[in-house]
Formats: sequence, structure tokens, C-alpha cells
Amino acid sequence: MPFHRSIRVRRNRKEIRRSFDLQLTPMLDVLVIILVFLLKTAAVTSTTFTSVAGIELPVSESPDVPPESLQLIVTPEAMTLEDQRIMDFVQSAASVGTAEASYEFARGDLDEGGRRVVPLYDALVKAREKAELLRAKSKARDADGNPLPFDGVLAVQADKRIAYDTIRKVMYTAYSAGYTVFRFLALRKDF
Amino acid sequence: MLKRPTSRRKSRNEAIALNLVPLLDAMVTLIAFLLFSMSFLAFVSIESPVPVAATDDLERKLDEKPLQLTLSIREATSEIWSPFQHFKPIVLENTPEGEPDLGAIHGALVGLKQKYPRESQIVLVPHAALPYDLLVGVLDAVRLLGPTDEPVYAEDERTGVDREVRRLFPDVIFGNLLGGA
Repeated sequence: MPFHRSIRVRRNRKEIRRSFDLQLTPMLDVLVIILVFLLKTAAVTSTTFTSVAGIELPVSESPDVPPESLQLIVTPEAMTLEDQRIMDFVQSAASVGTAEASYEFARGDLDEGGRRVVPLYDALVKAREKAELLRAKSKARDADGNPLPFDGVLAVQADKRIAYDTIRKVMYTAYSAGYTVFRFLALRKDF
Repeated sequence: MLKRPTSRRKSRNEAIALNLVPLLDAMVTLIAFLLFSMSFLAFVSIESPVPVAATDDLERKLDEKPLQLTLSIREATSEIWSPFQHFKPIVLENTPEGEPDLGAIHGALVGLKQKYPRESQIVLVPHAALPYDLLVGVLDAVRLLGPTDEPVYAEDERTGVDREVRRLFPDVIFGNLLGGA
């Protein structure tokens, strides 16, 4: 007798069904709004520049969005080229024992009268050679059928406390390694 | 004999039950992917080429005597000058906080842009201890025209019609990069 159920059992079953009736529509509404916001933001920030922990970036009003290029990050403690730590600064003798540590180049890291940073130079030359090799292998050619020339652009992301003297050494080293255009990165002011 | 529930009522209930769970799954996956892949830092860039020192260029410059607008940032003052003395050097004191007076530098440069509207280049010579933060501030002050600045007009070379200039001196070259103080 399949239809011989008591009224109480039927009512209980109905109540159980009602208790599982989750209202998903408001949740979907919220998710759609989040999704649209994220898609719009992702479309605006097309570059893949990353940063490192602890860096304090300056703010700029420049409207120029940086295109993709080789990226150097300079923090008060170290330098990183394309996510690879290439050198560490050493704590200056004057700041030992003081509350705020300051860092400088190790004596062996500089040459050409203290203007060129040796580990950075080596890393930049290696990166340039790699870029030139990739361009030689690429099918993209100029009007004469030659591989596209090396663009020589270096994007520099530096901590706001870094002195111009360090930036100048970086630029001189990059120039020695064949880089001719510098892009100073900063955070957008209204962001 | 028991009465069987009508099939009409049953079918109406089934039609209302929309299965939103797969849709929710897809949306949550998409949101997670977007959150992980996107960057929350909005970068802007300030471009500067390396200065090129050539003998021919030097001879040409001595002949033509270009404006070669130069901004020297020193420890206590800032100076806007021209090596070929196109105008009287403008010396600006630092702010009481000991920082370059960016507003005064910008104001003086806007005045010079009115005088030389077709000039786009400036040579920047900062002192060694200038923090990067202030360097970026100086670069903004010399490169960009603000909405409150007096409009600058320059004659378009092709059409001969005056056109509003959008940037102040956008081509910044570091003067002491290859040597000097």
C-alpha cells in the first residue's frame, strides 16, 4: 500500500523540504556584481609588473601606463631583476647600533670609480643576450628582413627612500650594459 | 481506493525548481581566478632616455646656441638656467622642511613654457642625496601641466594653427648621469 502514509508524516516531509529551500538569488546578484567589478579592473590593469614585500613606492601624477619591459626593483636592502635577487646592500658602518639602519653598496660590488654596479651589470648583460637570442629566433623581422633590434628599455621600481646617487649608479650601469631608456615606475596618485 | 495526486500539480512544482548550484560553482571559480591573477597595484611610468654625448652634437650646439633648459636641484636651492644664457637664472629656495619647492619650480617652468612653447626638453641635475620620492615629485613638476595652470599654446608645424600644449617639458634627461656632480 504505497499511498498509506499518515498526515503527520507528509507534513513533516513538507517542513523538511521547506527548511532546505535556500534563497540563492541574492547571493548570485552579489557574485555577479563582484565578477563584473573584477573583470573591469582586470581589463584596466593589463601590465604584469609585480612588487616585493616591504617596498614603499612613490606616488606620481603621470598618466603614462608602462608597457611590458625588463624590471629592476631596488629596495633599501637589495636589488631584484625579473624576480631574481641579484645583490644585497650591506649595512653602513655609521648606522651600526643606531635605531634606523642604512645600507650601502659593498666595496667589491662597484667598479669604474664607484659608478658601475658589477652584479647588476652582469645580470643586465645576461638579460640583454637572452632578449637578443629570442629576437633572433623570432619570426618577427624588420623591413630589411633582419631580427628586430633590442629595445634597451629598463623599468626601475625603487623604494622612495633610495637616494638619487643609487639611481644614478643603476642608470650608469644599465647604460654600460646597452640599455638606453629608463622607465621610472610609481604608483598612480588616485589609486 | 486512495486518490492519487494529480500529475498537473506535480509538473508545476518541478518547473519552478531551477538548479543554480552549477552556476554558483562557475562564478566562484571565476572570481577566485580573477582575484589571484589580477594586480592591485596601478603603476604609472616616467620615461627618460640616456643622454648622448657626441662631438658633432657639441659643435652644432655651440653654433646654434639652443635653449637647453636646465634644472639643478642642490641641497639648499634649486636653479633653472640656460647654459647659453637665454634668460636670467631663476634661483628658488627650498621649503622650510628642506625640500625643493615643487610648486615654485612648476610655476617658474610654466612661465618659461609661455615664453618658449615649442621647447619640450629639460636637463635635470639632482644632487646625490635627493630621495627617489622627491625625484619623482620633481619629474612630475617639470613634465606635467595641471588643470589650474595657465593654458599654453604653440603653433602646429603642419597646420600653422595654434594648439594647446598638454605637457610642460616631457623630455627629461639626467645631466649628471655619465659624470659630474
